[in-house]
Amino acid sequence: MKTKLLAVTAGLLTATMLASAPAKADVKIGLIGGVSGPIAAMAPAMIDAARLAITHVNDQGGILDGETLVGVVGDSACNPQGGTDAATKAVNIEGVLAIVGPHCSGAVLAATGSVTVPAGVVVVTPSGTSPEISNIADNDTVFRTVPSDDYQGRALARTLRERGYDKVAVAYINNDYGTGLANAFRGEFEAQGGEIAGFAAHEDGKASYRSNLAELASGGADTLVLFDYGDGTGLTILRQALENGFFEKFVGGDGMKSDAPINELGAENLATFVASAPVGEKSASLDTFNALFKEAGGDPDAIFVTTSYDAAFLAALALEKAGGDKAGVAAALREVSNGEGEPIGPGEWSKAKELIAAGTAIDYKGAAGDHNFDANGDVPGTFALFEVGADGFEVITEMK
Amino acid sequence: MGLLEFINFYLIPGIVLGSIYALGAVGITLIFAILRYAHLAHGDLATLGAFIALAIVTSAGISPLAALPFAIVATAVVAVGIDKVFYEHLRERPKIITVIASLGIALMIRAVVQVIWGVDSESYVRGISRPDVYFGLRIRDREIFTVLAMLGLVGALYVFLKQSKWGKAMRAMSDNPNLALLSGIDNRVVIMLTWIIAGGLCAAAGVFLGINTEIKSMMGWHMLLPMFAAAILGGVGRVEGAVLGGLIVGITEELSVLILPGEYKAAMAFVILLFMLLVRPTGILRGKVL
Amino acid sequence: MEWIGLLNYALFMGIFIGIYALLALGLNIQWGFAGLFNAGIAGFFAVGAYTSAILTSAPADGRIGGYDLPFVIGWIAAMVAAAAIAWPIGKICLRFRSDYLAIATIGVAEIIRLVIKSEETLTNSARGIAGLPRPFGEWPYVESQAAFLVLVAAIVLVVYLLVERQFNSPWGRMMRAIRDNELAARAMGKDVEYRRLEAFIFGAAIMGLGGALFAHFNRSITPEAIDPMVATFLVWIMLILGGSGNNRGAILGAAVVWTIWSVSEIATDQLPHEYAVKAKYIRLFLIGLLLQLVLRFRSEGLLPEPLRGDQGNSGIDRERSVQS
Repeated sequence: MKTKLLAVTAGLLTATMLASAPAKADVKIGLIGGVSGPIAAMAPAMIDAARLAITHVNDQGGILDGETLVGVVGDSACNPQGGTDAATKAVNIEGVLAIVGPHCSGAVLAATGSVTVPAGVVVVTPSGTSPEISNIADNDTVFRTVPSDDYQGRALARTLRERGYDKVAVAYINNDYGTGLANAFRGEFEAQGGEIAGFAAHEDGKASYRSNLAELASGGADTLVLFDYGDGTGLTILRQALENGFFEKFVGGDGMKSDAPINELGAENLATFVASAPVGEKSASLDTFNALFKEAGGDPDAIFVTTSYDAAFLAALALEKAGGDKAGVAAALREVSNGEGEPIGPGEWSKAKELIAAGTAIDYKGAAGDHNFDANGDVPGTFALFEVGADGFEVITEMK
Repeated sequence: MGLLEFINFYLIPGIVLGSIYALGAVGITLIFAILRYAHLAHGDLATLGAFIALAIVTSAGISPLAALPFAIVATAVVAVGIDKVFYEHLRERPKIITVIASLGIALMIRAVVQVIWGVDSESYVRGISRPDVYFGLRIRDREIFTVLAMLGLVGALYVFLKQSKWGKAMRAMSDNPNLALLSGIDNRVVIMLTWIIAGGLCAAAGVFLGINTEIKSMMGWHMLLPMFAAAILGGVGRVEGAVLGGLIVGITEELSVLILPGEYKAAMAFVILLFMLLVRPTGILRGKVL
Repeated sequence: MEWIGLLNYALFMGIFIGIYALLALGLNIQWGFAGLFNAGIAGFFAVGAYTSAILTSAPADGRIGGYDLPFVIGWIAAMVAAAAIAWPIGKICLRFRSDYLAIATIGVAEIIRLVIKSEETLTNSARGIAGLPRPFGEWPYVESQAAFLVLVAAIVLVVYLLVERQFNSPWGRMMRAIRDNELAARAMGKDVEYRRLEAFIFGAAIMGLGGALFAHFNRSITPEAIDPMVATFLVWIMLILGGSGNNRGAILGAAVVWTIWSVSEIATDQLPHEYAVKAKYIRLFLIGLLLQLVLRFRSEGLLPEPLRGDQGNSGIDRERSVQS
């Protein structure tokens, strides 16, 4: 048996060696996501969106001197152990020049703290929403294309107040995403004179939330604000709330703007459901992305796909700008998206490449916002409120 | 809060949830009593059953209840197969080895489900079904089916264990394996029967969870700990105890939000369990002490 | 560049293996030597990690702690806190045998996890605590990794020597006696309950230290890190695979299992790109399968418990004590 074990180990090690000898013509970026673990349902679409950006790069002349951009997928399993492991492999074995991900805030904190910041590799997370990420001592190498929870929670609260929602109950998933959104929302909603008639967290993955809903409804609110994931527990809660008539109106954060509720519950049942999500200014970029992603067989309403695409495209732009120099990526990332220069939209790689070669300043206008990074590497984010129409989600109003 | 509200929004959901837990807990309690180890792949086996039913529902276009028998048979076959291929060789080793092996099996089953069916939430029937109101009680068809099917399946199992020759053999194995073996009971048949029953009930638990909510690749893993709590609460080896334990865990989970913040709902099963182990380690219905 | 990358990866693996080796050693005291089926490793890991995080992080609004203490104090406190929490748990739970103890400790660990996830004033709830000091953290990447590895390795060595000495002392003999034949040990006048509690607390303190090392290595601790899969079950796989009852086995098990866990991803990455996501599921399948193979062909572990004196049939005794 010892020999067998040795054989297996040797096989794995050989695979490692093979993997560590990349073809020289490739430029690699890491796509690290929670493929297994609690957000397994969301990760594939996010990785597909990031890879669409890579496809656009390669179809339109490649990166640097026509080299192929390769996305190396790593599994963070949505926990710090997996996040650091995947980041270490991406940085050291694969030799990536930038990382898109990890998806979960806990994995972002751990991977940046122990791997990427010391190694000087730029990280752009499309979905790590925790405010703690702003505070990482990162030498300016940690960015995100998703706004911190604070922005969205506040914007949503103001928009709801303007649209006449007075008394709401809030249910949120007990993780960094739900907690952050719910607390920001509560503060702003009350400051604007609204009433929170119920406020409760719930654990992921239970089979019944009817008692939670009954408890929330007992405060007398007619609207449920739900900060959860539309293809996870959020779907279960929305279903049980609709079936039992606990609330009349439903409001979701960006996590709830997913195709799953429409597919599983039917658009006709979601007439009173609205959801917020980040969009690009005037959302021309968003429309472009939606068309492109649909063409590639993806679902543009899936969660965090716009931010994933933007993160990968921005990383590619920064690499091009920095001339493939790892140390210059962070500065380049700020230059390609600082609000000044020729606007570049999703999919416009060849145009961007020419402009960069000509030395012209460019400004990426992403599907999920303009991504003008602030000092912490955060983006302010622009949001819109969506409702369910005949062909999926449609914008009702911009949120300020 | 009115009585009707209490029944509609706390008690009925608790009973339905408890019935699903009970279906899984019965299998766990049987494996505990006859094979004497904690089977950690039980939740993922339930997931597999739910997805097999989904495949039948989408390909044959029948209702999930009609697909249930097929899913039960298929999952029972898988369970027996897993036992033959992976657990059988470990029978003579310390039981902890099999517990760890079952953990590996859980990973493998989940991986198979994710590769074949993907990771998206699915449901058997699109759309929502609002409950019917009987004398102020709001009940859905599928909830009645869930509870009735649970009672039917467990009732049949109970009669089988009490009346049939092989059922008695299973109980004998559970009570005293050495004596049972001495009296000529065929160990292999008993073990196979145990896996058929446990696998079939697993599938039923998965399908009913799927009918009442959604079908996800992680659904079974999330149910594993409450099901274990239910099995031990009821008394290991006691089928009717597992049902009682399942119902108690389900109902207390739903009632817990009345006194505790919602995020502690998942802790309820363990609080009851710890309390029970302290005051009555044999479980509610005097079970085996392992 | 290539070999520097491999070296870095090896250093990282070494650090993780060291941290997991501590957890496996702690478990070995509880299971391998005292026969206590603790399935709540994640709970003690979490208490250690958070205790140290609260003591050593910078002050923050809305939660207790942020005392900015040196990490050494944090680590010692982590051990003390894990031991302190193990005491009441052990008092209550150790009267249960084998599988019941497992379920009870899983339950306690889940409750600890929920408290950590929900209590904002204590642990900053789901957001976790970031910005922890890391020893040698301000050094360049490779040097910092190497220095941390040396530190972890030194701690593992000290713990190993300490535990090994305990095992070969009369105390260890007594523990094994209690494990293998409780009745006889009791008849000899040994205070079985007290000794078991001792082993439980001793093991928990080491797990707490492992948690603290982990938190400081990552400069942060979040509730995702104490998921039962990565913080409890993985450690069990390591100990059983390495050889329970053997300290070197526990360390070797941690090394082998973590290597498989980590390197398997590189192996499945060789699949074509269109399978890049599915490859991650296949990876978990392979890990499960490999586990089955090792258990099937080497179920006593890579390094079985050494036979001491007339313990030639201890395996059979173990079997009986687990069953009964």
